Amino acid sequence: MMEKIYSDVIKETCLKYVHKSGVTVYMLPMEGVSTAVAQFTAKFGSQDNEFSVDGGEMVKIPDGTAHYLEHKLFESEEKDAFALFAETGASCNAGTSFDYTQYYFACSDNFSKNLEILLNFVQDPYFTPKNVEKERGIIGQEITMYRDNPSWRVFTNLLEGMYHVNPVRLDIAGTVESIAQITADTLYDCYNAFYNPANMYLCVAGNFDPDEVVRICDERLKDRAPLNIKTANFTEPIAVNNPRITLKMPVAKPIFELGFKRAAASGQAQTDEFIYYNILMDIMFGEMSDFLTDMRIRGLLNTEFSASVFSGRNHNFPFARGESDNPDAVLEEMQKQIRAFKENPPSKQEFNCVKRANYGSLVRDYSSADSIASTLSDSALDGTSPFAVIDTAASAEYGRMLEFLKDLDENNACISIVGDVD
Amino acid sequence: MSEFNRQQIGNAVYLTKITDKHFKTNQITVHFYTDFDDDSNLTRADYALAAYLLSDSCWKYSTYSAMSQQLMGLYRASLSSGTNFSPTGARHTYLRADFLDNRFALNGENIESEMCKMLSECILRPNASGSAFDGAATELMRGELIDTITSVINDKSDYARENAAKTAFRGEPQELSANGTREQAENANSETAFTAYRKLLDTAHVEIVCAGCSDFSAAEEEMFQTFFEINRRTIIEIPKTVRSPLKEKPEYVSDTLPMMKQAILRMYFKAPDLTDRFANKMLTLILGGLPTSRFFTNIREKKSLCYYCSSVSTFERKYMTAYAGVEPQNLKKTEKAILKEISDIAERGVINEELETVNRFIQNSLRSVYDTPESLASWYATQLHNDRILTPEQYSEELSRVTSGRIQAAARLYKLDTVYSLSGGDK
Repeated sequence: MMEKIYSDVIKETCLKYVHKSGVTVYMLPMEGVSTAVAQFTAKFGSQDNEFSVDGGEMVKIPDGTAHYLEHKLFESEEKDAFALFAETGASCNAGTSFDYTQYYFACSDNFSKNLEILLNFVQDPYFTPKNVEKERGIIGQEITMYRDNPSWRVFTNLLEGMYHVNPVRLDIAGTVESIAQITADTLYDCYNAFYNPANMYLCVAGNFDPDEVVRICDERLKDRAPLNIKTANFTEPIAVNNPRITLKMPVAKPIFELGFKRAAASGQAQTDEFIYYNILMDIMFGEMSDFLTDMRIRGLLNTEFSASVFSGRNHNFPFARGESDNPDAVLEEMQKQIRAFKENPPSKQEFNCVKRANYGSLVRDYSSADSIASTLSDSALDGTSPFAVIDTAASAEYGRMLEFLKDLDENNACISIVGDVD
Repeated sequence: MSEFNRQQIGNAVYLTKITDKHFKTNQITVHFYTDFDDDSNLTRADYALAAYLLSDSCWKYSTYSAMSQQLMGLYRASLSSGTNFSPTGARHTYLRADFLDNRFALNGENIESEMCKMLSECILRPNASGSAFDGAATELMRGELIDTITSVINDKSDYARENAAKTAFRGEPQELSANGTREQAENANSETAFTAYRKLLDTAHVEIVCAGCSDFSAAEEEMFQTFFEINRRTIIEIPKTVRSPLKEKPEYVSDTLPMMKQAILRMYFKAPDLTDRFANKMLTLILGGLPTSRFFTNIREKKSLCYYCSSVSTFERKYMTAYAGVEPQNLKKTEKAILKEISDIAERGVINEELETVNRFIQNSLRSVYDTPESLASWYATQLHNDRILTPEQYSEELSRVTSGRIQAAARLYKLDTVYSLSGGDK
């Protein structure tokens, strides 16, 4: 049944239904735009590295398998997906994250044909020992490229420092050693488990006719019996794994990322964490804060500094990044600032100003087909309403912000530093 | 549908309005174009510092935090500024305001009017007294500028691009970063930056581009008044084309950075006699601009030589760059493979299927220019440098007329100028 979900805050309506195949479909048609964007997503990311199907034995797969599979899914026995999209003029690509893999296109013409191509190639894997082997070198080079990137290394090291066992601590693409173990059979096993329609969703935004999407889904989505997929259970300690991780690399000035560890939340609770900690990070450390002014005057930070919330399946924490000659002093000052705010909470006026600013940012997220499709995909992944984030931001309450402030443990922190430091 | 209107509102000051009611946001950018007067008393860093200071604070909001508070209160509107190269290699300094449309203001605020006033304040009444910017603000922003200049090493691609330019564009403005050097930034001060700021106001060719859902009547009035108050005298003429000279024989540079595993290859090709803008665009896309391009298909997919391999060109300066991320042992092979792809087109042209693929892609992507104020503003800001201002449809029409013969002719004009590689190792 087609559900109409309306947001009074943004004045938009999203259509949602579960296709008989099991795929959940979200659609938000927009007036006056040329582009349509469709994102077809499987809830299978790098953190899903151990799983069982229908109560069977737990299977451990090599790190980087989800990303490898994403690369290979574009290939087919005849024309690969890039060649098919070239015939319509659409731009297409894919991406693997910690908790999902997404295939998408953007077009201003031939929408129906493009949607057919997208649904067809994602549902039609073609993995052979030869084509899997051929990709190993290219992915190896991609891994090397990321390992040469200080910004990526400081981020992955932070996750390693934050978590003991949570698989989000592993690099999305794996390592040259781990991908050496991936075979065509590994990819088929993962595909058959995680690319089950019940584990997938399709989000479409922009210039398209919803009836056409329904028709194409009926024609193209394949029915498959739903599977009971379980990923490995883990108990992540509340304390950080390692409070300080450093890596020597040539950078102009040390770069850092730091996080304040939180227990993982899900659904609306995770959206609340996201909204309220974003408000708090803005008030305590944002552009208009005394903290940033003071730190700039003392030469400890520059305007590259930013603070927000990192959030996904089984992980969410307030974090900050920047560059400084003394990152340890930055963390210390941030901890002092949190303590000071706990003693003297921010005013309602400050809260309202930041709340309004956050609302402004979120309205911008509903400005293009691309950003709307991503917002829909994010909420589908979180299992929340398509407008949960903006509705929560618009109705944020001062009292609840104070509760989140009280609940923040400034001492449970990890800092990752890249540069010429010990 | 978008409405486009361009008018002169002052001495070498032009205002372009692009309005489309379906947008939710607005953007106003003031572009200043001047030449690189490196032989004057002012350095590149003086201009870059002036640009930084314009969006940091102003007389009315005299600290970064006060300015930020005002912007946050306006639904996180933003003011940004910077300095880079225009397509012809002139100095491009910009001051930009991005903000939500008034209809989304929860308490009836006039966001547009407030932002127009702020923009005007930043241009006319910066955080300065007499003939110098505020000392404390200058000190902070000079630090920011030095950090920006030195942090190029943090991104290996940027580092390779900046260092390759020293050879590829030796003796030209692009030889050095538009922000200047660390030494220049260290010597810049509140007086020199203020002199640079005044020179921008007095002598630059100014293009103000407004794009969004507003009719921009408030912006037009505010900007008219703003530039009316400035006594603009000698305006610097910015040429439409500045050819980058071709070296007598190609130069090879091998550079190193510690701990780097993947090498970066950058090859510069120059064609001083190139006149066909549209054939050049098609050539660049067919070589390395799409996932179906020759570089991607033949060099990455078939030969597995690199993770990425792309091309980009600047018609106004008649050069094209091919760049790739490769394993160090494959540098030479990739260089040869890139040369082969260009010479193949120079000898045999391209096939119809390639032309059709690029045209379909172009038509699709150019229609999407109309979808956001940012893409529309960027489109027209680029078009303003051309002899003829083309709509996305007109541009697409021109590209669809390009034949294999025209692309072949463009490829034949390109000659190898510089080969730069960056790989792991000690300096």
